[in-house]
Amino acid sequence: MSGKPGYHGRILEIDLSSGKSRTVAVPPEDLDKFVGGQGLGMKLLWDRLKKPGVDALSPENPLMFIPGPFSGLPVPSSSRTCVVTKSPITAPLKSDHHHASTVTYSNMGGFFGPEIRFAGYDGLVVIGKARDFSYIVIDNDKVTIRDARKFKGMRTDAFDKAFLEELGDRNYKTVYIGPAGENLVPYSSIIHTAGRAAGRGGSGCVMGSKNLKAIAVKGSGQPGVANHERFLTALEKARRALYGTSYAKSWAEQGTARAIVGNSNAGTESVRNYREGTFTEADKIGGDAARRDVWVRDFACYCCPLACKKSGVTKGKYGGVVHDGPEYETGVMLGSNLMISDMPGLLRAIYNIDDLGLDQISTGNVIGFLMEAYEKGMIDRKFLDGIDLKWGSVDATLAMIEKIAAKDGVGALAAQGVATLSRHIGQGSEKFAIHVKGLELAAHNIQGNQPRALSYVTASRGACHMSGDDIAMQNRRAMLDSTGMCFFPTFEPALEQPMLELLSAITGHEYDKAEFEKAGERIFNLEKMFNYREGFRRSDDKLPNRFFEDAFTIGAKKGAVLDRKKFEEMLTKYYQDRGWDPITTKPGEVKLKELGLEFV
Amino acid sequence: MTRNHEGTRQHDAAFSRRQFLKGISVGGGALVLFGQFGIHSAAWALSGEPTLKMVVVDYNKCTGCRTCETACSSRNRPAAVAGKDLPGLGNPHFANIKVHNFNPDVDVPNICAMCADTPCAKACPVPPDAKTGRRAFYRDDVSHTMHNDISRCIGCGSCAKACASLRTGVIRPNPETGKPEHMCTLCGGDPQCVKCCPFGALSLVEVRRDRKFYGLGPEKIAAELASNWYGTATLGGVK
Repeated sequence: MSGKPGYHGRILEIDLSSGKSRTVAVPPEDLDKFVGGQGLGMKLLWDRLKKPGVDALSPENPLMFIPGPFSGLPVPSSSRTCVVTKSPITAPLKSDHHHASTVTYSNMGGFFGPEIRFAGYDGLVVIGKARDFSYIVIDNDKVTIRDARKFKGMRTDAFDKAFLEELGDRNYKTVYIGPAGENLVPYSSIIHTAGRAAGRGGSGCVMGSKNLKAIAVKGSGQPGVANHERFLTALEKARRALYGTSYAKSWAEQGTARAIVGNSNAGTESVRNYREGTFTEADKIGGDAARRDVWVRDFACYCCPLACKKSGVTKGKYGGVVHDGPEYETGVMLGSNLMISDMPGLLRAIYNIDDLGLDQISTGNVIGFLMEAYEKGMIDRKFLDGIDLKWGSVDATLAMIEKIAAKDGVGALAAQGVATLSRHIGQGSEKFAIHVKGLELAAHNIQGNQPRALSYVTASRGACHMSGDDIAMQNRRAMLDSTGMCFFPTFEPALEQPMLELLSAITGHEYDKAEFEKAGERIFNLEKMFNYREGFRRSDDKLPNRFFEDAFTIGAKKGAVLDRKKFEEMLTKYYQDRGWDPITTKPGEVKLKELGLEFV
Repeated sequence: MTRNHEGTRQHDAAFSRRQFLKGISVGGGALVLFGQFGIHSAAWALSGEPTLKMVVVDYNKCTGCRTCETACSSRNRPAAVAGKDLPGLGNPHFANIKVHNFNPDVDVPNICAMCADTPCAKACPVPPDAKTGRRAFYRDDVSHTMHNDISRCIGCGSCAKACASLRTGVIRPNPETGKPEHMCTLCGGDPQCVKCCPFGALSLVEVRRDRKFYGLGPEKIAAELASNWYGTATLGGVK
């Protein structure tokens, strides 16, 4: 093995325009500085898009699947792949560049990331556009592009099964888009195992723009590590930090769904299109109810001792197999946010959204916005193609989901997201069009949670609840999402030291907490520079007025509302602490140099 | 004293057997498994009977995380590092246990069932050695695990074919040599898959050596589990 330990030192580039693929060496210093996942994806994007304003749906925009240095090794919970590309959703308020948008990244669990590394790559980069609808098959060094026309329009659950039949080998790990991605709905997802998604930020739309239905990967190799013995020792410590702990058990018990009731009680849930922080019927769609009535098993991603995922079955009008959930985000965005408390109906909506290949969060947010506009009489039933889109209506929600994925009638407009919808509807609806930079907010409400508001407005991909509520957390998570490890086990403090030991043993680069966060800061700043170059400024780090005007009327945080002055002060301090210009938000020369980003 | 001791042992065995069956019966799914496959009831050892130890799976506890594959590979595919034999990095490609996953969400770890009648060994066409009586593919008298004598094996794949058509299909021929691989070694008595499973889904269990238990292929087990868990036996990717 030559090059940097812990890596193959190469990515696989597939050009759908020419039908050719090649391996491309990644400079060891890039691996060292940008690590993998979100970070390496950002560096590759920066290198490949040399000018701002590249159309996200043009062949030029690379669609990248990047695991990290943990991926493919049996490190607990190291299942993640980061899908990185230029966003087809976000836009600055004004820019000199017609197609200006942010970077986008979406982090997905399962088995795809490890398999990319088994196949011998540190990432997959898809460029170009296929002439005919296609899929890609990667079997170690062998790469083929095949005709996918017979799968056109196929929903993801059926495709998941049909694709493996076609490949004839269950060892392949697959990702694919649904009808929404094919129809270029900007907030389309990429689905894996019928129930896992790279959901946020529109990577499925970019995949659709490439005329690409699916990618299948299998492999038999594995990268080496810098210090074998140290790796084994640290691996044992990492397992001990999680195995059999009450922390791990609590994830297996309810996964993220526990927070459906928890956050409602705390007044931090997205309810009724973010009007409230508490859903009085949360217990009907929460973890306890799901455990009692729906879930039949807990399942896990690659080498994960938490098993936060739940499958099950429901009966009745909306009945069927449940691949996933409710999880916190899916349960709240389609439940609490739409005032839906019918569990089978909620699970049908979640299933259909995955089946069509839409982002659960943006879809729930868009429908919530339309429900509110309808309630307020800003739009009528005719506008909605006859759908009686009332709060809590499962049937109306299901109908709207189909319309969005098909871009049919009102769906064509709704598919563009709440920013476009509110511009079209006008009448002051911008106030409750809940997005930042064009990307819809997630299931965490913020009238009573100012730090989370910071996460939403300063995240690099538009409104992101995972970005981090302060600078240290943002840096840490940018790095974490670059390693291939999942975010969920890392709340366990006992995992911290073994995780750093593992990363050091694998890469040969010595990481302590500060070094880990420094790498994350470098990644976050490169993302910022990318967005800045596109034309994003402080005026884009902006929340809709609802959060400053509509105080909660119920729940633990009744009366809570953000204070605009305090919010702006928080932002100013944030930019200053980051070493950015508080007026333009441009990262300063000193900071860039300190981080080794002189090249930007 | 002796009788008391015997009695206690019997009681313990019966108790743990019941516990075990209860464990795999959660949700009703495994009741069918139990009834149809006789998966452990017929196999559970009582005192005095000739026994062997094997790894058994509790499908209700398995989450499909595949840690078992990495643990198996790490132990059974060691790495030479600076002249030392160390456990490997756990590349699942080399594991003897393999988790098959399905849609709807069912995961079936597949591992050598150590079948009493060894159809794999019976299928081996290499004439038995005059001294040991072993064909190239044989069962070890002490551990009762299945082995292949590479020097005598002709790579015909008969053992793997017999396993695939009659039992679990866990034996796979090496793609280059055709010689069988992926038989469970029990890791010298301390199976790493059992040790490293985060969910306690795998156990090393003492079973009757002559039990009439036949391992089933993962597709059949998955279909049974899916029909009990989800009310459908239609599984993706199953031929």
